[in-house]
Amino acid sequence: MSVLDKLKLNGKVAVVTGAGRGLGRAMALALAGAGADLVLTARTEAQLMETADLVRDGGGAALWISCDVTDSSSVNTMIESAISEYGHIDILVNNAGGATAGMGKTLTDIADDEWRVGLDTNLTGAMHCSRAAIPHILEAGGGKIINVTSGFGFRAARDNFIYTSAKAGLVNFTRALAMTYAPDIQANLIAPGLFPHGNAAMSEFWRNGKYTPMGRLGEDEELGPLVVLLASGLTSYMNGQAIVLDGGGLAGGHAPTGFAPLVPLPEDS
Amino acid sequence: MRDKFSLDGKRALVIGASNAIGRAIAVALAEAGADVAVATTTPLKDEETAANSCANEIWALDRKGFAQAIEAADEADVNALIERTVAELGGIELLVNAHDLPFAKPAPETDFAEWRRVIDVNLGGPFLACRAAGQRMLSDGHPGGSIINVASVLGERGLANGAAYCSAQAGVLNLTRALALEWARGGVRVNAIGAGWTEGMAMAGDDESRAKLERYLPYKRLARPDEIAGIAVYLASDVSAYLTGQVVWVEGGALSHV
Repeated sequence: MSVLDKLKLNGKVAVVTGAGRGLGRAMALALAGAGADLVLTARTEAQLMETADLVRDGGGAALWISCDVTDSSSVNTMIESAISEYGHIDILVNNAGGATAGMGKTLTDIADDEWRVGLDTNLTGAMHCSRAAIPHILEAGGGKIINVTSGFGFRAARDNFIYTSAKAGLVNFTRALAMTYAPDIQANLIAPGLFPHGNAAMSEFWRNGKYTPMGRLGEDEELGPLVVLLASGLTSYMNGQAIVLDGGGLAGGHAPTGFAPLVPLPEDS
Repeated sequence: MRDKFSLDGKRALVIGASNAIGRAIAVALAEAGADVAVATTTPLKDEETAANSCANEIWALDRKGFAQAIEAADEADVNALIERTVAELGGIELLVNAHDLPFAKPAPETDFAEWRRVIDVNLGGPFLACRAAGQRMLSDGHPGGSIINVASVLGERGLANGAAYCSAQAGVLNLTRALALEWARGGVRVNAIGAGWTEGMAMAGDDESRAKLERYLPYKRLARPDEIAGIAVYLASDVSAYLTGQVVWVEGGALSHV
């Protein structure tokens, strides 16, 4: 058997949150491409249906369930529906998250609700999904949890309180999962650097990657193979750890800010 | 997805193929489609046999390759090895530095010569190989490359009696980051695998210390070498084209513990 055969996910059921677009959609398609059956969740139905169609067009199986990860009863219902459809869950990808009101505000301007919503969206949602799915993953004989954090989970930025706190919380939540459920469940993190998700304004804001060591921004499709890797038998001893895909940003400590680094790059092209 | 991870057409050199991790990585790269030259390093006398047996395994997979024994900290040896790889395989896109000189001794009893030897082999060796391979990979018309340095959890955590070894391993992690930044726009990626306690490692120690270790580890067992090698295939493949300057830890959660 070649080492590459371990990438096969046939017979596995993967739940992907935030699967309606961008990174979540790219990861769902990659998991389906590797043979997994998909449970796609997000709040916006139209986008979920699109992702489901794309999975089915590629010959995969997809169940879509609209769900708000910040609401634990909505999450519990979603996981139960996944179980009634497929009978088991093997892989959980906690990808839902992103910008909420209050982000980028100075500390004194952040309202209580803005803080709570930001943490609920980017941290508590992953707890809700993990809590609901883990008993099923254990019942299936073990599996994988993949949490999507960010460079902001390891480094901070000026006036970025909510997102950095939530994403750093997700890093340590993952380590606690790893400590608790090893060796039956492996819990690891994906930390994307600057990925504009096709948004031209974001690309421009990040100067098209000019200040990223590799000189470019990331493409959502580049995260697909990474999620398959972490969901596969190739990473059976990897636990509680992050793979950072950021074009060298964190290695030098000046990204992902999108602005000129304190120390100029050797070749500022 | 299998095709995307394929290493077909890539030429690899794995230094340190007589240790369990290096050997597993060399074989995994070959299984994924790469041609793989393997080298082993001093001081063990039976290393050449180990290298030959690893090369036999690579040939059995219908891949090209050769085996050579070198002195890891010798510039001329390392340069000649890279030249031979380019000459026999037709080029070099992948370099894996997996050789490892284990060393444990209380610091007051450590001679400076011993310290220098550990640093020279475990940190100087990867530098020499990166430099020689990097010169090739950065040259005009070359498609670039991916370099993987195998380091240890002892590059991130200290250990009593490990002053020299831990210092060298920590050096490898930052060698990785610095080269990654320097070469990011030249198409050469440099990453490290931070290996946990693995079967076949010399530092896994005697039966008693091994039993203690297994009690402490979240998995209650050491890693198998093939569990380290899987990450090497990912880092070697073009699917990780945006990944550089990183340490990917494969340690079963050992570093997550307080």
